[in-house]
Amino acid sequence: MPWKERYTISDEKSLLDSEVTWPDEQRCCFRIVVDLAPPCGPAGITPQDLATPDAYFGMHGGLAALADGLRRRRLKATFAVPAVMAEIHADTIRALRGEGHEIAAHGFKHEDVSLLSRDEEKARLARTTEILTRIVGQRPSGWFSLPRPSDKFAGGAVSGHTVDLLIEDGYDYFGNGLADDVPHYWVTDFASRRAILTLPYYYHFDDQFFLLFPKKGTGLENPDTLFRNWKAELDAQYKRGRQFTMVLHPHGIGWPNRLHMLEQFLDHAQSLPALWNATSAECARHWTATFPAATHLKLEPSIWRDYPGSLS
Amino acid sequence: MDTSTELANGLDRDIAVLKARAADYGACHRVIEKCTWPQGARIAVNFTADFDAMLLRRVLNEPPMQLAKGEFGGRVGIWRLIELFDSHAIKATIFTPGRICELYPQAVKAASQSGHEIADHMWEHQVPKDPALEREHLRRAKDAIEKLTGKRPVGTRSWHTRQLLLEEGYIYNSHDTPDHRPHYISEPDGSKALLNLPFHYVIDDAMFFSFAWLNTENDAQRMMDPEHVEEIWWAAFLQQYRQGGYLNICMHPFVSGRALRIAMLDRLIERMKRLPGVWFPTCEQVARHVLSLHPAS
Repeated sequence: MPWKERYTISDEKSLLDSEVTWPDEQRCCFRIVVDLAPPCGPAGITPQDLATPDAYFGMHGGLAALADGLRRRRLKATFAVPAVMAEIHADTIRALRGEGHEIAAHGFKHEDVSLLSRDEEKARLARTTEILTRIVGQRPSGWFSLPRPSDKFAGGAVSGHTVDLLIEDGYDYFGNGLADDVPHYWVTDFASRRAILTLPYYYHFDDQFFLLFPKKGTGLENPDTLFRNWKAELDAQYKRGRQFTMVLHPHGIGWPNRLHMLEQFLDHAQSLPALWNATSAECARHWTATFPAATHLKLEPSIWRDYPGSLS
Repeated sequence: MDTSTELANGLDRDIAVLKARAADYGACHRVIEKCTWPQGARIAVNFTADFDAMLLRRVLNEPPMQLAKGEFGGRVGIWRLIELFDSHAIKATIFTPGRICELYPQAVKAASQSGHEIADHMWEHQVPKDPALEREHLRRAKDAIEKLTGKRPVGTRSWHTRQLLLEEGYIYNSHDTPDHRPHYISEPDGSKALLNLPFHYVIDDAMFFSFAWLNTENDAQRMMDPEHVEEIWWAAFLQQYRQGGYLNICMHPFVSGRALRIAMLDRLIERMKRLPGVWFPTCEQVARHVLSLHPAS
């Protein structure tokens, strides 16, 4: 790029459609991410957040119905799990792993890490890795910072240190980036090309923004809009040969009427030949091997000049 | 003077002040009642893109993920828009902040080489209050664009003061919406007139697709799907097409550059092209045509 710190995270131009390839001549990557955090605020999951009908349904009836549908369809998903949820529901998490789903980290308790000091964030990250490793029996490959319904912005919150700490801790990928619609590299240091593979996320394909959003009473229920967004993006990305990621919250999508809509969408997705349903870790592995940063990250030095009276 | 006369005089003064302000404001506007287009076209459709990428997010000091959301516009979205317009042989207008020339020079060059108009969108998506600094910003943005495209911009989408724009040789702004037709904005006496090519916030992708647009609360979000917006825009087009007129469709590469929306725009353009007499010029082409056929004075 002309790299510019505090403006850009990656290089100047994405891969062309014609350059993107998937394993075994598959045409388009199809990723399902399931967020196992109950609705909570920026402080992360509190005792009150766990004592709600939504929180209960999200880890019981809603999750069971969603997991059952995935099993029936032989679809694999990535479950983004806050460490505290893994501690509370260890057997459930192990069972999901046992069915072939990926368990990825989703913060210590889905807190807004930009409110923490670097040391505090580092300590929570290390503890999260330790907890998930112990419970799942294998280190998480990826880390998510998905948005909470009350967040001011819908992209998920990271601090200025998060990505660097993930690299330091040995994570393979960061799960929700917005700068591309295929995997790309999030650079934290220009000189050393220090970077982590980042998988795409976009809030228009995240169910929470369409199902009684942002909360009861003031909420908007637009499952038809969500369905059309999913379908329009999947069809367009399939045609281009790129990738599609949807994000699901069992406490919302698990209700029978909404689940019915999801089933219709999955019927459509599974009717597309050569659609590669991959977990995030599988997608990341493929990308890192096929498009390594060493050859595919095209960073150029900044040509930015500072002027008095202008932003720097 | 008794109290009731005093009160009545006060109300008269109120009316006079309001009348004067409305008259003054009204006198600053002259709408071109009936624009005729070259070769008997019924409608001029301007596809315009505000290429701010992450710049406005940075101006507003938004967090890292918001910047990355904008970055999509530079890495992916702008390229798709160029490809889309080229595939339809449509020349669009890309309103480009000067700073973007330092962040995405390849894209700005490519757009210009494809024949799209690169116009001003402020040096860094804000206009300084100090007049000297404002002029410096406008000139720096012009220099940045000219350096990449070899052409000086003649149009802008900005809050820059009209007087300054005229002094610096700009022939149009594409900003405010006192009317849906092209119009002049001037001093109350008609002097210092600058052509405005209006767009409207509902013929703009951001409100429908960009979360927290214009600092809106979460309760106010309307996350729409492309088909819904396609119908709103198609209806706006069809109404203007039937009566003869003008439509300016405002896009942001980080919003409309998403694959699902490029597919929608492709359909929308196909539908428009099926009708005879639809002209897809750049804003500069519209401006030059209007200035010569319907001059300000």
